[in-house]
Amino acid sequence: MNFRYRFFASLSILVVLLLRAPSKAEVLRMIGPEDVGGAWAEVIKRFHERHPSIRVNYISGPWSTDERQNMYIRSFLSGDPVELVYMDVTWTAKFAAGGWLLPLDEWFTPEKQQEFLPGAVKAGYYEGRIYRVPVRADVGMLYYRRDLIPKPPRTWREFERICQRYSRPPDVYCIVFQGMQYEGLVCDFLEYLWGAGGEVIDPKGRVVLDSPQGLEALKFMRKLIERGWAPKAVLSFQEQHSLSAFSQGKALFMRNWPYAWTILNRQDSPLRGKVGIVPFIHKEGHESVGTLGGWGLGIARGVKEPERASKFIEFATSTEAQKILHFRRGAVPSRKALFFDPDILKVSPHYRDLYEIVMRARARPVHPDYPRISDTLQKHVSAVLAGVEGPEEALKIMARSIEGTLRGREEGYLKRIAIDYDLRRTLLNTVLFTSISVPLEFILGLLIALLLTAQFRGRSFVRLAVLIPWALPTAVMAMSWQWMFNNPFGVLNDLLVRVGLAERPFDWLSGPSGAMFAAIFADLWKTTPFVVIILLAGLHSIPQELKESISIDGAGPLRRFFHLTFPLLLPFVRVALIFRVIHAAGIFDLIWVLTKGGPADSTRTLCIYIYEVAFRYDELGYAIFLTVLFLLALIGMSFLIVRLTTLGYERT
Amino acid sequence: MRRALLLPLGLLVVIYCLFPFFWTVVTALKPPQEVFSLPIRYLPKALSAENFVEVFHKRPFSRYIFNSLIVATGGTLLTLVLASLVAFRLRYMPVQRALSFQRWLLVGAIVPPTLLVIPIFVVIKALGLINNPLGLILSYCFLNLPFGVWMLYAAFSRIPKELDEAAMIDGFSWGGILLRIILPLSRAALAVSAALIFIFCWNEFLIALTLMPDQNRYTVPVGISMLSGASIYEIPWGQINAAVTLTTLPVILTVALLERWIVEGLTAGAIKG
Repeated sequence: MNFRYRFFASLSILVVLLLRAPSKAEVLRMIGPEDVGGAWAEVIKRFHERHPSIRVNYISGPWSTDERQNMYIRSFLSGDPVELVYMDVTWTAKFAAGGWLLPLDEWFTPEKQQEFLPGAVKAGYYEGRIYRVPVRADVGMLYYRRDLIPKPPRTWREFERICQRYSRPPDVYCIVFQGMQYEGLVCDFLEYLWGAGGEVIDPKGRVVLDSPQGLEALKFMRKLIERGWAPKAVLSFQEQHSLSAFSQGKALFMRNWPYAWTILNRQDSPLRGKVGIVPFIHKEGHESVGTLGGWGLGIARGVKEPERASKFIEFATSTEAQKILHFRRGAVPSRKALFFDPDILKVSPHYRDLYEIVMRARARPVHPDYPRISDTLQKHVSAVLAGVEGPEEALKIMARSIEGTLRGREEGYLKRIAIDYDLRRTLLNTVLFTSISVPLEFILGLLIALLLTAQFRGRSFVRLAVLIPWALPTAVMAMSWQWMFNNPFGVLNDLLVRVGLAERPFDWLSGPSGAMFAAIFADLWKTTPFVVIILLAGLHSIPQELKESISIDGAGPLRRFFHLTFPLLLPFVRVALIFRVIHAAGIFDLIWVLTKGGPADSTRTLCIYIYEVAFRYDELGYAIFLTVLFLLALIGMSFLIVRLTTLGYERT
Repeated sequence: MRRALLLPLGLLVVIYCLFPFFWTVVTALKPPQEVFSLPIRYLPKALSAENFVEVFHKRPFSRYIFNSLIVATGGTLLTLVLASLVAFRLRYMPVQRALSFQRWLLVGAIVPPTLLVIPIFVVIKALGLINNPLGLILSYCFLNLPFGVWMLYAAFSRIPKELDEAAMIDGFSWGGILLRIILPLSRAALAVSAALIFIFCWNEFLIALTLMPDQNRYTVPVGISMLSGASIYEIPWGQINAAVTLTTLPVILTVALLERWIVEGLTAGAIKG
């Protein structure tokens, strides 16, 4: 009995220990990128001096904006929200629509709002209430080399003329910008689209992207790469890479945010004093528009004493704090007066020019579904730049996908699946993935299983080796595969070149077919062992006497296989097949880590889509509906498999 | 003649299965600067533990390991406790009914976690256990229980019923019979089940990703998948491969140790992928 008591006592202690939720001290948390220059540390330090009773904890999140947004969303959904919401302009609508933010109208009054940039304030509104106080503003613009170009271009045609005349790729390209598949690409794209008079969504809420203006914008961007005016490498550029290429003198122009000016004019910069800024280029007969960016603070709903959080926001958006952020990390202030502040103008005389550009900035579509709209734009604009999709095709897909998103919100679920373009696309990918990988697994699995039934030296070691891929964690090994498929450091490319199967390294993960191949290849490695184990058990279950007797009857190995082995193996094949089809159709871990479903959605499968609907786009109801449908489809599929693998004489 | 052909074929299979792991270890053992050098070296010039040191030093990797150990241990223990209770109960049922009960359990176990993650999330959130290891432990118990019952029932049914009856006469309660007789006699099966369930929990990614959004609570697979540098070009592949090595090595050792029983258990259950 003693043992029993001790056992249950320790078990209950374990449970109690685990049940004690992580202690939540009275600390206000906020998530931001790595605190370069210690700017936030300084702001928080000064705030603590003034308000010793309030503690603020700055959490250094990942570098990716997207990842940080996900961190916030998951914290809201979990019911333990991170108190201070440090958000990008584009998050506000979604967070507010989700009911995750407190309205700030009470103390961020219209009089106070007067002191800030109007565009930045407007981006904090959702359905008539304000949720976000701007901390720093941002706007896209064109940097040019004052020393090389006599007069900066204002229109697309002027720009082309200068490119033709002055650029000498591959030494000096014409322009570098942000061409990687991420939010920055959308900002760039919108500047071309707006600059041609186009829109994504018109004021009435209709999707008008698939228009002649949209086509012009996409074709112009594609042309930059085709003509060699922009290096192919922009496809993997974010801000910092564009900046480093530009500052090495590799381009005449750069599309970037204001922070670059400070860096380009540092003491040690070779381009000090040689760079000018102008509003971004536009098509003849239209107007220049820069995309508005920037960060602001809001308060999560459910915070116990919001006054304390509001005190911090008040301080973090004060002139004092904005100056710290400006001098320590080059942040553009959101207060109008600071653009004429003598301290700032002394270091950054260009702030006079910048003021004009910032005042003309335009916010991205304000919509709770913006993240989804942006996802679609990113994927397909990037595919056009890479030459994977034609501009016309991409425009159609984008328009239909965005339309499906917007209209889907209003329709019932049943109608929605008919117009859900992403659903159709991911379903197709899933079918493709399953129908290639499962048969290959079975062929390979059967061969290995047959090999393992033969007697040879080292057989038990082979059997052990086969077990290993099955036992290793899929998500972790997906990182390994990503490394092996890497270009140019990946080992698979190296092997292919050495063996002579490829002439030069191939960029597996950045093309649609390459990425699908990589996913199938890695899946094959991971799941074949399972098939081997099951089929091996089947092979061992065949009585030795039967094999001997059929051999005595004079059957050759092939006939023996088809008339004896295979029929007796069928029940095992059935089990393995049902299992593998269901799991291949439900694949998640491997693809999520290997490709995140990219590029241009080419490896995005149904389960990834459903997961994103639930946890990224926050539509749990629709996600559950899709899950149930999928489950029913899989059950139907299993019955079909049973039916097909049951031989006539087995049926009763 | 044919036999001679089998050996190279077997060797090929071994290389195919082990190469990714081999390559991970090689990369991890290279000095960080050699990881990104071309042409690729298949055997590092010098061995270095720097990547391993860095992954603990610069990343909260020990934290991830700690979290993983907690949930995997908790999940395994809870699963085994419940599974042995269920299997013990099944022992006193007619064999036919016990088997059909298990068949239904297995049907449930075949549903991939990808389809269960949303319902699990809804339940765990309603219990207020998001970011709490207990939420993950409960989920893992739920996912692995069918497998545990299957393994333990097979072991329990090998023990003759007469033993129970004799114990009953000696005045044992049913709990006493389970704890003092059945479980000690099924030590081997318990150990194998524990090892396998531990591996399943240790490897699990999706549920851990969803139920533990707080980065201080990441388990090892989630933490590794989130390892990134200041930008996509500075992905610390050396450190990642070191982390992968540390995560997978114990799994491989366990599998090597328990190979025979794993194959038996798997084919009996024919579940889990």
